[in-house]
Amino acid sequence: MEAAQKNEVKSTFTDYDYSNFYYGAGDDPLNVLPAFMRWFEDALPNGYHIYSEPLATAPTTRVVVRSNKTGQLREMLNLASYNYLGISYRDEVKQAAIAAVEKYGLGASGSPILSGTFDVHEELAEAVAQFKGKEAAILFPTGYSANVGFISAIMRSGDNIVLDQYSHASIVDGAILAKSKTTFFRHNNALDLERKLSGMKGKKLVVVEGVYSMDGDICALPEILDVAKRHGARILIDEAHSTFLFGPNGRGVAEHFGLDKEVDFHLGTFSKSLGGQGGFVCGSRDLITYVAGFGRSRFFSCNLAPMIASGLLAGIKIVEAEPELRAKLWSNVAYLRRRFAEEGVDIGKSNSQVMPVHVNNDAKVFAVASKIQERGVFLQPVTYPAVPKHKSRLRISISAAHTTADLEEAMKVIAGVLREEGISKQ
Amino acid sequence: MLEYAFSDIISGYFEFPTENARRLLPGHLEPIELHHGASVLSIGVFDIKESPVGPYRSVSLSVLVVPLVKGTGGETMPNSAFYPFLCGTNRPEPRALAIEHLHLPHWTEDVQIALEREARSVRSSVSVGGESILDLTITDYQWSEAHHLYQCFSKDSTGAYLAGIRTVGEFSDHQEETGQLRLHDHPFNAGLAIPDVYEVPLQESWLRAGTQAFESLVQLQPV
Repeated sequence: MEAAQKNEVKSTFTDYDYSNFYYGAGDDPLNVLPAFMRWFEDALPNGYHIYSEPLATAPTTRVVVRSNKTGQLREMLNLASYNYLGISYRDEVKQAAIAAVEKYGLGASGSPILSGTFDVHEELAEAVAQFKGKEAAILFPTGYSANVGFISAIMRSGDNIVLDQYSHASIVDGAILAKSKTTFFRHNNALDLERKLSGMKGKKLVVVEGVYSMDGDICALPEILDVAKRHGARILIDEAHSTFLFGPNGRGVAEHFGLDKEVDFHLGTFSKSLGGQGGFVCGSRDLITYVAGFGRSRFFSCNLAPMIASGLLAGIKIVEAEPELRAKLWSNVAYLRRRFAEEGVDIGKSNSQVMPVHVNNDAKVFAVASKIQERGVFLQPVTYPAVPKHKSRLRISISAAHTTADLEEAMKVIAGVLREEGISKQ
Repeated sequence: MLEYAFSDIISGYFEFPTENARRLLPGHLEPIELHHGASVLSIGVFDIKESPVGPYRSVSLSVLVVPLVKGTGGETMPNSAFYPFLCGTNRPEPRALAIEHLHLPHWTEDVQIALEREARSVRSSVSVGGESILDLTITDYQWSEAHHLYQCFSKDSTGAYLAGIRTVGEFSDHQEETGQLRLHDHPFNAGLAIPDVYEVPLQESWLRAGTQAFESLVQLQPV
């Protein structure tokens, strides 16, 4: 038998990922570093250089990006930033933030429960509550801390938290911090949720997202809500990627389905549609008062910078005054979806402004993304384990600020590269 | 070094509760979590055509665990690591060899392993004395040549061990969720809370026409 000679291990950097380096042997937590760095120093020049490339301009539809590989500055069409309504760089927003810097200085300099609450924070919380049609709202320094802080504020050891399998890390981390029993149901699958809730005793919280950030599909809320209510579970919807966008008033996916009042807890962020920073939870005044005392991720963090809060207040005013921004976004989404379909580009089940362009080749996705960047379109690849094996993709975000010409330019570059690489259907 | 040539090795990976995984694992091994509270059960069926004890078939139930990364210069990184908590073979000789050399726990009777190969799938039915243990169907995706290193952990009354397995063969793996598992209510599956094991694999892999070489067994420090 020739097995010994033939069984030499051959690998490339895509055979491994961060999950392979979670633990090292022995008692020193740094033992894992040499093996990790050997892999990373191979992965960086061959693909991973495309992550964390620094922007040298505002995240408008055109950005200047410094290549991690060559150090060169390149101007590119931006399909990577959230900023779904193109608000973060509007003059009204910038002027509000500048005025706040003049008035308050750089930061809040304190926890929100001690010295870190300013008048603009209270105004922002009130504006968010009003926009969402709720009694009250509470602010968190980031969207991540909103999920972690809220879930761990209301759920306890021995309680049950039931999550969609595609839940964002902040939701999962909130469940871990709550020390509750955590169960996952198949993505957007009300039947599997029914199975998971059957026979479950005690307090129950079901958590869903308005728009799922890796696939761009929206929550099957009517079916899921029906199951949750029949089993006596409370339901939290994380509208990070849908607040200010979906529904007649832009309140989110819950409003889109006419289920705004049926959902128990509404969470959102300011970093996506408004291009700012921070998170929030809306609900009854009693709930918000309780969370203010138990939301540790907020309690023990410095409050949002007042200049951010001021800029966000100006942003919300724009959203309220200019519903045409949402109309423009949805028109852009419809245009690009149609053009991708015509060119045979697969965007999966996306029905939102988040579009995954499926490459479905884990080894090739970095080269495809690099080639698209070389032709002037800024985007990033997402690969296993963030998405399933062979489901690697390019994640793109559409903004109301994109022009039809921008979208056509992006579509031609993306479809052209996919055709050259033998990935698209045409 | 033990060397085997195989026709097919099919593996299905199934989500199951971490509390179940921890009940099966010795204290020094950490289960890989797919997400919080959910670990991975691996069920493998092996069709061996050449070995030191001749051809045979075997089945293994394993928990995917964290690999041992030593951080030494030139170390080959394992592709994955697993802890077989119960194996079965269709003949006594390969069972004795695996117990003696690899310290792997085995069902003491011969098990019957049927394999039905279709163009794009393999269905395996495992039973003992006419009583069904499990039925596993695995489908293919795209084939390429693989050169992988797996880490196999074991523990018995003599100590804890690690064997590297260098595997070469035609390889297909995917997460299309097209395979299927049925676990029967049989003492072979007593370690598993069957209703909590997903019947659809989160990942399916299929190796064919290849070889496996077990590196010298390493005894791990007492734990």
